[in-house]
Amino acid sequence: MTWTCDQTEARLSDYLEGLLQAPERAEFEAHMHGCAECGPLVESVRSLITEMQSVEQVEVPPQLIHSILDKTIGPREHVTFWQSLKNFLGGLATPKFAYGFASVTATLFIVLSAAGLSWRKPKLTDLNPSTMSRNITRQAHLSYAHAVKYVSDLRVVYEIQSRLRQDNQLQNLPEETTPKSNQENKPGNDDHTRSQPKQQNRADEFLARQVEMLAAECPVMIERSFR
Amino acid sequence: MEQDAQLVQRCLQGDGSAWEELVRRHSRRVYNVCYRFVGNRSEAEDISQEVFLRVYRTLGSYRSAHGGFATWMTSVTRNLLIDHYRRTKRDRITDSLDDAMPVVENKESVGRRPDEQALLGELSGQVQSALTRLSPELREAVILRDLQQLEYAEIQQVLEVPEGTVKSRINRGRIELARILQQMGVRPS
Repeated sequence: MTWTCDQTEARLSDYLEGLLQAPERAEFEAHMHGCAECGPLVESVRSLITEMQSVEQVEVPPQLIHSILDKTIGPREHVTFWQSLKNFLGGLATPKFAYGFASVTATLFIVLSAAGLSWRKPKLTDLNPSTMSRNITRQAHLSYAHAVKYVSDLRVVYEIQSRLRQDNQLQNLPEETTPKSNQENKPGNDDHTRSQPKQQNRADEFLARQVEMLAAECPVMIERSFR
Repeated sequence: MEQDAQLVQRCLQGDGSAWEELVRRHSRRVYNVCYRFVGNRSEAEDISQEVFLRVYRTLGSYRSAHGGFATWMTSVTRNLLIDHYRRTKRDRITDSLDDAMPVVENKESVGRRPDEQALLGELSGQVQSALTRLSPELREAVILRDLQQLEYAEIQQVLEVPEGTVKSRINRGRIELARILQQMGVRPS
């Protein structure tokens, strides 16, 4: 079956929108290619649709919106400068703005303090970028040095604690490891009473050696701890 | 962003700011439909204003269950455009007699102000001119489909006709428009 011009025209939009089934599309195209009127018409409609669909919307005249609002909810009040300023400041009094303002202020305070700005006697020269940069670098080095010293001190403290713990373990070890059953089995045996002073002496010597070693390693720390 | 239905509810409770938001949100669409339909800026402004006044008065009759607010507004716009078309029919009969005259391009360029010509933007003056010569049924269908890019179902709701009729009107409108342009010696770019 071959389509007529009327049939082709009736399905033109369906063809351009891809809504025709394969056999219908074949019939449509067969007619379109063979007809001197329908072929150019299809192309013409195709480019017309493309042009219309790519067109941008025109802008609404501003007076139209004002006019509609005036005629529906009534003319808007004339707002003076002071009223608009008051409205603006009123809009700022919100928790969201207060939190934002507080966080910005705190950040500025920290940054300027780090930049070496003296809050008691602020000078204009403190705000000089080169001065600020120098102060920030100095503060950064100082902070780094403090951090290194703090970590080093912590290391010494942990060292002392771990060695004292080892010493306590050494003191307790013989008593715990000695089987109690043996002592009970030999009630008259008093060897342990004689070995205790020897162990105490060994522990004291060990402790003294450790403290001497630590004192040699970190004399300042020991001095501070005695104070 | 607040939904249209919520804004409508606030409007009905007397909230002016909600109405202002609705006007700002939909004025572009309404104005563009009017402008493409009548092809004249000041008439489009007048009809758009009329649309919003009617919507404001009949806002209580809008039911969100029956479709989107934008579709409802487009329906109101379309009804007012048809009313406007009927009111000005006599003027157009005179126009159509003029259109039968061979010099079509000159009439169009003389009849339109330079700012209106610039406002046409991407759409060529001839296409806009040809659009206003279509019958209102075909014109509204083509505008809603090709310029507002509404879906067939939305157009069906706006025009209150079956989907087959919508498709047929769009198809005939496009073909008619292409023929008018051919008669004018213009081929769409």
